[in-house]
Amino acid sequence: MDENRFDEVIRDLPQSLNTPSEPPLDEMWKVIEDAHFNSPASTRRPGGMNSRAPWLAAAAALLIGIGIGRYVPLGNETQQSGNAASAVASTQRLAAGADTSAIADAYRDQTSNYLGQAAALLISLPPQNASGKADAAFAGKAADLLVTTRLLMDSPAAQDPKLRSLLEDLELVLVQIARLRGERNKGDLDLIHQAVEQGDVLSRLNSAVVTNQSSE
Amino acid sequence: MNETQLIARVIAGDRLAGRELYDMHASRVYSLAYRLSGDAEKAREFTQDAFIRAFSRLSQFRGDAAFSTWLHRIVVTVVSNARRSEIRFGREVALDEAHSIEATAQQAEPDLRECIARAVENLSEVYRTTLIMHDIEGYTHAEIAGILGVPEGTCKSRLSAARAQLRQDLAAFKE
Repeated sequence: MDENRFDEVIRDLPQSLNTPSEPPLDEMWKVIEDAHFNSPASTRRPGGMNSRAPWLAAAAALLIGIGIGRYVPLGNETQQSGNAASAVASTQRLAAGADTSAIADAYRDQTSNYLGQAAALLISLPPQNASGKADAAFAGKAADLLVTTRLLMDSPAAQDPKLRSLLEDLELVLVQIARLRGERNKGDLDLIHQAVEQGDVLSRLNSAVVTNQSSE
Repeated sequence: MNETQLIARVIAGDRLAGRELYDMHASRVYSLAYRLSGDAEKAREFTQDAFIRAFSRLSQFRGDAAFSTWLHRIVVTVVSNARRSEIRFGREVALDEAHSIEATAQQAEPDLRECIARAVENLSEVYRTTLIMHDIEGYTHAEIAGILGVPEGTCKSRLSAARAQLRQDLAAFKE
């Protein structure tokens, strides 16, 4: 093939290689709309947690407070009894600028715990052709983990870019699993398995668990 | 309503704004996904996946680059990840299928269209993506550089290398 002919080949590439068919716009939109706007897990709102929903901010403060309350040294203060009291006290200490390394430890431990649970969920995910019997249990667990995912995404734990990217991919996968609560289509589990595989989520998750544990 | 206002409304959960934003970009996203994957069903899945990802991360879009650049970067990533998985899986079945492929190949001389498709498929991922985006989908070097996150010069040299390899692969073809 000479130079001129090759130039013609390049010029004709748009017509000769994988010429697209008409895009099924409405069909695709239905899937996107279901996944993003109709999912119970798709209620994120812009801005910080406080602007999104006051109850969510309160829940986050309580959750993080409980975690931190277990780790921040109490010093001369009297040990509070009960988780709620501990949470309030530790949140106050956090606001007052408590020991930052203890806070980092608390976040790390919460993250480790979360990563372990997420890995367990993804590993035990039913195969593509499985019946839908266990779907509700998986969906419930995924919805719980989704809340933690979003809290962690808004926490200092997500300052690590690798962990942040993993949390973002996990968020997407967990949204899909949480949707299994209703009647599932034949391809739903396929899509979830594809999302896990495409994002290399499991191996990144394992590696994050190891990294997080080794830094404890 | 301009694009920035639309994005803000989608973040606030407005599905009509979502549809409008989707309509503005879906055809080009689908076309790119189709060219990169060569399959209508996959193009559909990649387009859906890209929009679902984009919408779920919209609050992180800072507007440093155009929304289309940001969106198309997601599409390219989605397709690349899928292709990597396919290649990994393909290696596992390649040995089983090698014999039958060889037998088929000897039966008939492929036509030019087939040879081009094979030559493009044989390009490395970055060369292939650059060639498809520039020579087939008509993106400018600046657009490709923004989408792939590389300098424009890198983009130009990749295109040049891709064409050189294509020329070499097609050199032996006789019409």
